[in-house]
Amino acid sequence: MDHLMIESILTRAVAAATPLLFAATGEIVSERSGVLNLGVEGMMAVGAVTGFAVATATGNLGLAVGAAALAAMAVSAIHGFISVALLGNQVVSGLALTMFGLGLSGLIGKPFIGRSAPVRFMPVDSSILSDLPILGSVMFEQDPLCYLAFGMALLTWVFIYHTRWGISLRAAGEHPLACESMGHSVVLIRWLATLFGGACAGLAGAYLSLAYSASWIEGMTAGRGWIVIALTIFAAWNPLRAAWGACLFGGVYVLQYVLQNKGIAPNILMMLPYVTTLLVLVLGATKRNRRRFNSPVALGEAFHREMR
Amino acid sequence: MRGFLRIGGMMVLITCLCGALMLTACQPAKAPDKNGNPDTGDASAPPITGKIKAGFIYVGPVGDFGWSHAHEQSRQHVMKLFPWMESTYVESVAEADAPRVIDRLVQEEHCDIVFTTSFGYMDSTIEAGKEYPNTLFMHCSGYKQAPNVGTYFAELYQMYYLNGLMAGALTKSKKVGYVGAHPIPEVVRHINAFGLGLREVNPDARVTVKWLFAWYDPAKARDATEALIAEGCDVIAFTQDSPAICEVCQEYAARGKQVLTFGHYSPMQRFGQDAVVSGQLVDWNGLYEEILMRVHTKTWTNRDYWWLAKERATLLGGEPDVPINPKFVEPLKAVTVKDPILGPISVHDLALKRLDQMREPTVLFDPFTGPIKDQSGTLRLKPAERASMSMLLSMDWFLDNIDGTIPKN
Repeated sequence: MDHLMIESILTRAVAAATPLLFAATGEIVSERSGVLNLGVEGMMAVGAVTGFAVATATGNLGLAVGAAALAAMAVSAIHGFISVALLGNQVVSGLALTMFGLGLSGLIGKPFIGRSAPVRFMPVDSSILSDLPILGSVMFEQDPLCYLAFGMALLTWVFIYHTRWGISLRAAGEHPLACESMGHSVVLIRWLATLFGGACAGLAGAYLSLAYSASWIEGMTAGRGWIVIALTIFAAWNPLRAAWGACLFGGVYVLQYVLQNKGIAPNILMMLPYVTTLLVLVLGATKRNRRRFNSPVALGEAFHREMR
Repeated sequence: MRGFLRIGGMMVLITCLCGALMLTACQPAKAPDKNGNPDTGDASAPPITGKIKAGFIYVGPVGDFGWSHAHEQSRQHVMKLFPWMESTYVESVAEADAPRVIDRLVQEEHCDIVFTTSFGYMDSTIEAGKEYPNTLFMHCSGYKQAPNVGTYFAELYQMYYLNGLMAGALTKSKKVGYVGAHPIPEVVRHINAFGLGLREVNPDARVTVKWLFAWYDPAKARDATEALIAEGCDVIAFTQDSPAICEVCQEYAARGKQVLTFGHYSPMQRFGQDAVVSGQLVDWNGLYEEILMRVHTKTWTNRDYWWLAKERATLLGGEPDVPINPKFVEPLKAVTVKDPILGPISVHDLALKRLDQMREPTVLFDPFTGPIKDQSGTLRLKPAERASMSMLLSMDWFLDNIDGTIPKN
């Protein structure tokens, strides 16, 4: 394996990590507020098809990405309505959202199957920096959306850990009653977090259909939504840890094809993200690690101001 | 207010659920028809007269620009050609759903002939043949026949061989990549035929195979292609339905690195003007004309149609009527090989000559002619021996210039 090959593997791994990171950032914010949204796969699919459709219709990438985020946000509003407003079961609602999103995207996407997007995100051309050995093209030859994803993860980390808003967000997921008594509206926080999660999943979808493969097919999310759920746990609800976790899980996608000829079945590699997530869950159960790896206490629990 | 919202939400949910229940309840209501009197509806129907109604079942969406799209194009073609024809189609039919869809086409649409166009429909088609003895069935790409079930297929391996010749002339790294959809005999046959062509022009070049485990998935195709290019391959051939690989190669061309490829199945040169050398195209028109004409003239038999270059069911090129991309005509003319019979000849002329030979009624040339050894060195075909139909249909070994494995299921 020469250095050219390692460079190519790493570059593709970061590209494959981008949609995972987008959606994981959104899911982390959503879960930090106490809303478990298992509908990432569905929201991503809606984002992917909307982005592709708008790009085909207008040829404007910015518009396409915006529309993808908005469309997925609209889908996440269904989850918000059921789980935040109606205090419904978040697991059921999230699962329904996945199926709904996949079905809806298939329906909308029918006329776009087999077409190529007229415009797509291309790697930026920064010839001086990308000539650096190994990391040159990994870091400086990605497309703009990829930088957006990593930038957003960083900003979200700052937001969660270093702002007062972040404390309120975490309080909503850890101890909603305390949050409420501090004078914040848990319902409002959870709504905003859910919508943000939806928009991020939409961006992840747009990345798939406008940068990663620049085409649309039914079910193109291919289980990435579930990887994101696993990644959120793996990252222990920390966006920065999600960033390198996404690269790790993204690398798995790329390695499938590299290792195929060395007798390693792709099925085993596809299993890896879930196996590592199980491992993290096991590790997190030990007493020493409990604080570091534990989920928000009120995750998945409906909150009603008068329920005390 | 909140209580009201909750009740309102519940009402909405209940209404939705009721609606869904009613919908699902409607479908089984038709089942007793079928179970109660299995074939009365058709037994009383007169044998095929003037009008003929054909039903088509597609595995993918008709807009996929690949497999199902090509069948749909030909359906529209015969509809225009034959005034006595009626037809209907059902797209995106999962293999497990095939029996239900066949039932519908026979019982409700009263089709005289049903075309099932995916390998996975094979057993359902044979079953349906028993259940509806007065309906004709044609199953595409399978190997099982019955008194009222025939099979048909347009086979591409000859074109892959020709593509291999060109790849041999154009590869500089002597490393050629191949992206295969599924490890099934059809794809293995394609890869071996490609390898035979490659070997004829460039005996030292080797093929590296990567499997996608999907017929149509642009993202996976892209990942596999990038992996092959990273390993040093400068020509990529493929058997999968998306044009993604042509796009990847075109992107490399735009950045000044030449990675060449060949279109598969449908016109794909348009996705990579500077990277697609040639390719393989399928034309189902002739097959459907032949089959339907025989139904019309009541000369239909349950035969197995296996059409190749000779019948013009498969064509060379990345676009119709463009056997070789004009951009690559000169480079192919510049490479000369010495053929034992034809003497010194450019690869460009050799490819076209072989195409002519394979189009002759007696098929003067077949790529699968011995001596052929597999990866383990076992002699699979003795000198001058041509591959039998059963060998082609069950091929599960790779040629000795191919690196890769065939996962067994």
